[in-house]
Formats: sequence, structure tokens, C-alpha cells
Amino acid sequence: MAEITFENVSKRFGDTVAVDDVSFRVADNEFFCIFGPPTSGKSTILRLLLGLETPDAGDILIDGKSVLGVSPAGRNVAMVFQNLALFPHMTTENNIRFPLVERGQPAETIAPRVAEVAEKLHITPLLKKMPAQLSGGERQRVAIARALVRDPVAYLMDDPISALDARLREETRVELKRIQRELGHTLIYVTHDQEEAMSVADRMAILEHGAIRQIDTPEAIYDRPASRYVARLVGSPPINLIPGVVRTGRFETDDGALRIDLDRGGFAHDGPVDLGVRPEDVRISPPDADGAAAARVYEVEPLGGFTIVDVEMSGQILRAMLRGQPPIRANEPVGLSIAPSSIHLFARDSGATLFADTRG
Amino acid sequence: MASITLSGLTKTFGTFTAVKSLDLHIADKEFLALLGPSGCGKSTTMNIIAGMEQPSAGTVRFDDRDMLNVPMGRRGVGFVFQNYAIFTHMSVYDNIAYGLRMRGLPKAEIDARVRQVAELLGLTPFLKQKSAGLSVNILQRLAIGRSAAVNPQIFLLDEPLSNVDAAFRAVMRTELKHLQREFGQTMIYVTHDQLEAMTMADRIAVMDRGVLQQVGSPIEVYNNPVNTFVARFLGSPSMNLLPARLGTEDGRPVVEVTGLGRVAAPASARGSADVLFGIRPEDLTITATDLPGAFVMEVVFVERVGPRTIVHLARDGQELKAIEGNGFPVAIGDRLGVVAKPESVRLFDAATGQALDKEPADG
Amino acid sequence: MTPEAMTPEAMTAKAAMSDPLPASARRSHTPPESPLEAEGRRLGFLMALPTQLLLVFIVVFPLLMQLYISLTAWTPLYGQNWTQAWQSWNWFENYAEVMQDGRFWSALWRTFLVIIVCVPAQFLLGLGLAILFVENFPGKRVFYSVLLTPMMVVPAVAGYMFFMLFQSGGPINGILSDLTGLNVTTAWLSDPSLALAAVMIADIWQWTPLMFLILLAGLIGVPEDQLKAATLLGASWWQRFRTIMLPRIRTVIVIALVIRTVEIFKIFDNLYIMTGGGPGVSTETISVYIYKVTLQNLEWSYVATVALIILVSLSVVTAFGLKLMDRR
Repeated sequence: MAEITFENVSKRFGDTVAVDDVSFRVADNEFFCIFGPPTSGKSTILRLLLGLETPDAGDILIDGKSVLGVSPAGRNVAMVFQNLALFPHMTTENNIRFPLVERGQPAETIAPRVAEVAEKLHITPLLKKMPAQLSGGERQRVAIARALVRDPVAYLMDDPISALDARLREETRVELKRIQRELGHTLIYVTHDQEEAMSVADRMAILEHGAIRQIDTPEAIYDRPASRYVARLVGSPPINLIPGVVRTGRFETDDGALRIDLDRGGFAHDGPVDLGVRPEDVRISPPDADGAAAARVYEVEPLGGFTIVDVEMSGQILRAMLRGQPPIRANEPVGLSIAPSSIHLFARDSGATLFADTRG
Repeated sequence: MASITLSGLTKTFGTFTAVKSLDLHIADKEFLALLGPSGCGKSTTMNIIAGMEQPSAGTVRFDDRDMLNVPMGRRGVGFVFQNYAIFTHMSVYDNIAYGLRMRGLPKAEIDARVRQVAELLGLTPFLKQKSAGLSVNILQRLAIGRSAAVNPQIFLLDEPLSNVDAAFRAVMRTELKHLQREFGQTMIYVTHDQLEAMTMADRIAVMDRGVLQQVGSPIEVYNNPVNTFVARFLGSPSMNLLPARLGTEDGRPVVEVTGLGRVAAPASARGSADVLFGIRPEDLTITATDLPGAFVMEVVFVERVGPRTIVHLARDGQELKAIEGNGFPVAIGDRLGVVAKPESVRLFDAATGQALDKEPADG
Repeated sequence: MTPEAMTPEAMTAKAAMSDPLPASARRSHTPPESPLEAEGRRLGFLMALPTQLLLVFIVVFPLLMQLYISLTAWTPLYGQNWTQAWQSWNWFENYAEVMQDGRFWSALWRTFLVIIVCVPAQFLLGLGLAILFVENFPGKRVFYSVLLTPMMVVPAVAGYMFFMLFQSGGPINGILSDLTGLNVTTAWLSDPSLALAAVMIADIWQWTPLMFLILLAGLIGVPEDQLKAATLLGASWWQRFRTIMLPRIRTVIVIALVIRTVEIFKIFDNLYIMTGGGPGVSTETISVYIYKVTLQNLEWSYVATVALIILVSLSVVTAFGLKLMDRR
């Protein structure tokens, strides 16, 4: 049971601001993701919470009580090691016992606790096995059991599956999320993989240069990013950005090749903007289709279930993501259109969102 | 001009067979991806082509020349190692110039070529730097540039993107393909990442446990996998495979998917047999539960990853994944109907894993 | 503009690469220490302190004592404790005497001669053997063990061995007789010019294996992929050796050379057993000279002076070697 709160926490190392006035509240039993590019301060936040670093300003609270004066051990926050490493020479049971034995707990209290955790994670039949005999998913449960055995108030994971290969990562993240659902523990999860963050998080915080740029559910962040920076971080392939200008409710690229009427009333920002459109919202049509801009296919990447088409329009490459396997070939002339309901507009200079997708 | 022909290629290490009678022809200027899990023999195959290892049996030909007696230094093969094997005690410039210097070319010619390659790969700002401290992303380009400088007709890449970060991998996928076209080389690309293979290659050769499973264009292999191994290996999420029974109903072939329901089988399916019912997640459509022929299942998990919503469905121990678009209205616990497009159904022999309407792979 | 430079992602990549701060630099950025780390460092210092003090005592104390004695005319013959040596304080007289001591200079010169002959010989032989042993060949393990044997022989025993071998009626002359058909009776160890050669041969025999072992370790450490990459780029064996192997084992070479140079300065036991420094002083190296002056003449303050001079010269040699290692 734990609610974790950061209140205006800052941490600097010399001249570098690692964490910049960060505030967030993680609810009990929430799967909370911290996502950002390398060196954006993700790991420092975890270290602050673990007590390995002391903030320069602000407060960190667990269940409403400040833990700044509490030692790392006293905070009772568990860390699941990277790649969920188990000791290969120990049985599952000994792996799980390890944190308790290390703390010198009496044997008669250890055994029932291990049994209880194993039961919770459905790994009782695996207790006598060696890690090498377990499947990837089973290993993961064991690693989590080892973190949970001392009954932490919350557990933290720092890029726990980044070293696994692509396929295993996809399976593992689903498994992680399911386990967290079953156990109902507060989990703070750090990752630099946007797809991983989106797939597991109840809510996620997007970091840049140590500051939080947006906190929301993955869907809300994807559909309504607060800025160009956030929009580019989530989604793969990344969002297309088309420079242009807005004049009296209409977006237009510099050469006039693409025009979109912003048919929602009350939008009165005139000036230079970047238009953002997600690859799945770019429509490809026959070249003579009504209202479509003239474009040419530059590259086709068939992926089976969907196809990524790079389309060149007045010197710029836009990515379109189409379902299935459309019969499109490189160098073909095509028409390109963008539904006004699916666009984002970002101020050219600040990158702030002026106008967002309203479907979500 | 350089085509590559492998015939009956076999390599054994003691009692372990790394590659088993492999027959493969790679056309001039073709981009072939050698795809498979680690230990499937793809790297061994590549080492044999480069001349780093000798096959136990079989031949390697470049065009019509038998290569087995040609030492690796004279095969004219560019090779990019998985760990890049950059000469860390040299500058970026000296690395690129290395092969040219070994050929004793005049200084001015070397300089011009080094600068040309550096420009093409965006390495110009780093030319004077020691290569030891450079980031993986730059080392990766350098490894390609060092090999490209001597203009080999055949380019072999051993998992060149496995160490770089995801964002850079996406960039390099596109760039490598363009570079290959620009240089006009025959390229073999070893990878375990089906996404890399699908996006870059003209053809994919899928290997498992030393045996070539299937060769074809990415879409051919994706749409018509010859066995369950290939079916599972390509695609993300991979193909759903469920135990089922093939039979007939009113004279037409049908598949009874264990615990879920009946689907019309492809017309080519005959007889009755235990089979695996294969359907790609994107070929499943989520519908109302009362639609005739729909499997009624419960949503156990939903992954929303940007443009795609991956819906995990289950019933009586049978699990399926279906893909829908961004914002698809579904929640854990929902009961839904799932319909498989009949033309997308693939059937595999339950015992052998071979596709039912296909001959087994013969190379 | 090249086509691949036009994709949006490619442009991002190029932008990322022209980033003034390379990724490696960012990654290597280490945050300053936290209070916890500072505390750990203090604790570490305290725990290492006793050992540090002991080391200082072992190294620094004898050095100071030596310096002190070298500035006096003290010898145990006076019947005084060394602490009383100040009573015979004579400033730098010992140093002046050493400078004029012809025997010292010729011993030093002889030592250099042994170094100049033996170290390169051991290096070249060792390197050649190491190159052979990088590759696999039948019987490699056996040859390997045989090759390393000389190094494990106690130097005094090796001295006796060569003392016997080089007798005028000994096996070496026997072999030479058989080979030439003449009756060779060379008096190796009593001929002033041949005695030093015999000593050098013994040293080369005993210490080439060490050189071999160190260089082999270096060569094995050269990444195989880099050698393969060089081969694929068309480099011949000699080109690979010159451009990849040699630069990569440079540090190891310097270490091996420094070790052997310093060791030869200290050459003593086998030499003393073979020739006793003779005939006359013809094989007297600096160690033998010091030994003789100490035990035979009991001029301890003088010995302290010589030893200090040698120590300083050796430090210079080592420092030079280390500098070679730093330069890359």
C-alpha cells in the first residue's frame, strides 16, 4: 500500500540540473511509467526515491509522510534488477529467500513468507527448479517474487527488459503488466522505449532535461501531446511534421502544395506553425483524387500486417502507415491527403501545441 | 557483377551440425536477409561465404568461380562485424583508409576516396578523431564505411544493428537500403530481427537449426509461411496458432477450432486431420458476439501502442491476439465476437508443423 | 543531395550527429558524489590507512636510512651501531669516490652490455615464439610446457648447470667437437671475453620464456575480429602484424622490456656461480660488484652510496618506459 509523491523536487550535479522542479503523485496500485530519452533524468528520479541521492529542493513523500530523513533501507522500496537477473547457481526458492536471509531474518519466518509470495505469483511448482530450467516468463515472475518477498511498499524497475530481443520484449511487457494487475502493488517503471511505456503504463510522465513535460494516460499523450517534443517522442514511426503557415483558419505549406482548412471555429492563431500528422492518419489515394496533394512514392516498406510508405511531397518526405498490403510501388505518383480532424498544430518557435487531434 | 551460389553447403563442428546441405542462389545486386534465431546457422553460413571458415561439404561460387580455395583476403568481400571490429587504436580516417593503403594506392587517391565515403555516411566531422571514444551509432557507420571504401562487390553484414538504440535502428534501416542501391552491391544481411529483414530485403531466407526453411520476398514469406516456425518468426505480434481439426460439412472443408467454433477452411484443404489453425492478428475482426460464425471470447488484456491496439482474447485456455486501430473501444473483461477472414486462414499439420496446402521446403 | 539524406529520420540522425556534445561524452558524464558516496570514500581511506603506513615504513624507512649512511664513512668494523654513524659524517665524499671508481664504472658498463645484448635477443626470440604459438599446431601443449621450463629453474641451479656445460671438457665443447670434427677445448669461463658471452647465453636461455609468455598473452589479447577485418580488407600477414598486432601489444612490449632491463641490473646468482665475477673482474656486473664491496671490503657506507645511485638510475629507466606506454 503506497502512494508516492514528489513535490517540486530538484537535484543538480555541479552545473547540470538532473531533476528540475519535478512534481507527481503515483496512486496506490498504479503502474506509473517514467519515459524520456537517455540522460533526461529518469534514473536520478529513481535514485532519489530509493534514497541513494538527496534532493537539493522539494520533498518526497510515501503515504503522505516525508521520507527525506529515512535511510534507503528504511524506505522499504524494492528495486527489480535490470534484465530481471537471477542467481544462476541457486534454486528458485533460494533466489527468493535471498533478500530475507541477507537481512538475517529467522528461518521460521522466512519459509512461510517465501511460500506466500510464490503462491501469489503462481510459481510454487517451480520452487525447486534452477533458473536455467525456467522459461522467460517464469524467470520474470521469480525475479519479481524476489523483490516482493520483503513486502516493499512499492517496487521500481529501471529499464528492466531493454537487453532482451524484440520478440521476448513484447511478450515480457505483457506479462509484467498482468503480474502487476494481479498483485496490485505500486510500480514505478523507467524506460526509454516509447512502445514499452505506452503498452504497460496506467499513466506516464514524459521527461526532458530533467523536467516533466506531460503526465497523462498513454492514450491521452498519444492523441493530445502537449508539445511538439512530446508528440515526436511517442509513436513509431514518429509523427510527421510539415512546416507551414496559418492564415485565417487555413493551413498552407510555403509552396502551397498542401492546404488544409481548419474547420473548427474559434481557432485564431495566425503565423508560422509545424503541422503534425501521425503516419496512420496520412491518406494515400490515386493521384487525381479530389482534394489530394500531388506526391510521389519514395519507398515502400512492407511489414505484413501493415505497410509503411514514404511519400515525397514538394521536397519533403512524409511517412504513411497503411493497413494490410496495398499495391503501391516506389516512384508511383499518388495523391496525399490529411483529414483536418487528425492534425496537430505546434507553434514554430516554442513547439507548444496550438491545436490537437480531437478524436480521442 | 557478383552473384553467389551455395550448393550443398554443410558445416559440422564435432557432432553439431551448424549448417545442413544449404542450397541458395543470391543474384547480382540483390539484398538478401538471412533470418533466424541465434544458433540457426546464419552466421556460420556468412563466415563460410567470407572465407573465415571452410565448409565440411558443398561449394561456394561467386558468379562461376569456385571460391573454396580463394583465401578470405582475396575474395573481395566487404564484411561488417556485429561488434564492428573497428581498429580502435587508429583515427576514423585511418580506419576508412586502411583497405586502400593495404592495396598501396597513391595518397591522393586514398584521400579522395576516404572523403567521399565519409561524406556519404556523415562521418566527415569525425575524420580526425580517435575511433576509441565514439558512440555506437558512429562506430556502426564507420564499420560500413571502412568496408565500402575498397568497393567490394559483395557486402556481408552480421547483425549490424543489434547494438544500436531503437530510434537509430529505424534510421539505419532506411539508409542501409539506399546505400546498397547506391553502391550496387550484392548484399547479405544476417539478422534475428524480422522487422529488419522485412523492411530491407529483396528476399528473405529463413533458417532454423541449420536448415533453410523458406526463401522468398518478404510478403511471400509473410503471407504463405511453409511451416509454423516461419509463421511464428515473421510478424509482430506473431501469427495465432490454435489446435483444430479439419473436417467436412456439407461437402465443404471446415476447421473446427478447439473450444471456439467452426470456420470455412481454404478450398485446397482436404480430408480430416489434426491441424493448427493459423491466423495473423490483423486478419481477425472484432465484432458483436451474435454474428454467425464468430468466436465468442473474453478480452484479457489490451495493449494500446500508438497506432495499434493489440487485443488479447481468451476462452477455455485458447488465446488469440487481434489488432485494431488507435482508440478502438475495448476494455478488459469485455465479451466479444472474433471473425477470421477465410482467405487469410492458414492450416498446418499438427504433427509436423508443415503448411497443409504447400509442399515442404526443399530449398 | 544524396537520396538517403532526404528522409526525415535521416535528417534527424544527421542533426543528432552534429550535436556538439557526442553521445559518448554525455554518457561518460559522472555526477559529483553524493553525501553517501563521500562517506564511503572517508571510510575507505580510514580502512586503508594501516596498510598505507606499513608500506611507507617498509619503503621509505630503508631509503632514508640508506641516504643517511651514504653521507657517512660508517662501517660495522668501527663497532658502532648504525645510528651512531653521524659521528663519521663526511658529506658527499662517498659520492665523489664512486665517480672516480673505475671498477664501478666498468661494472656498470658491463651491466649495460648484458642488457643491450640480452634484452633485444630475448625480445626477438620471445616474440618469434609467441607469434608461432598464437596459431594452433600439433603438439603445441608439449612444446609450450618445455619452453616454459627454463623460467622455473632456480637461477642458482641454472648457474650450476651452465657452469657444468661450459667446462672445457664439458658437453658444449663436446657437441662443438662432434660438429666440427676438431677437438674443441675452449676454456669458456676462464677466458675473459668468452666468460661474459657464456653468462649472456645463460641469461637468454633462462629468461626468453618470460618474454615469450608476456608477449603471447599480449598477442592473444588482440581481438580476432580486428585481424579478420584487416585480412578481409586485403592486409597481408606482415601488414596485419605492423598495423594491428604491434600497436595493440605496444604496452605489453614496454612492460616486458622494462621488467627484463631492471632484472638484468640485478643479475647475480647464476652469474656468481658460473664465474664469480671473474676471471678478474671481467664478468663483474653492478650487483656482483656491490656484493663484493659489501661482504669482502665491508665498506657499507660506500655500498649504500652505490645502491642509491643504481636505484635512481633504475627509476629513470622505469619512468622512461612508463612514459613510452602513455604515449599512444
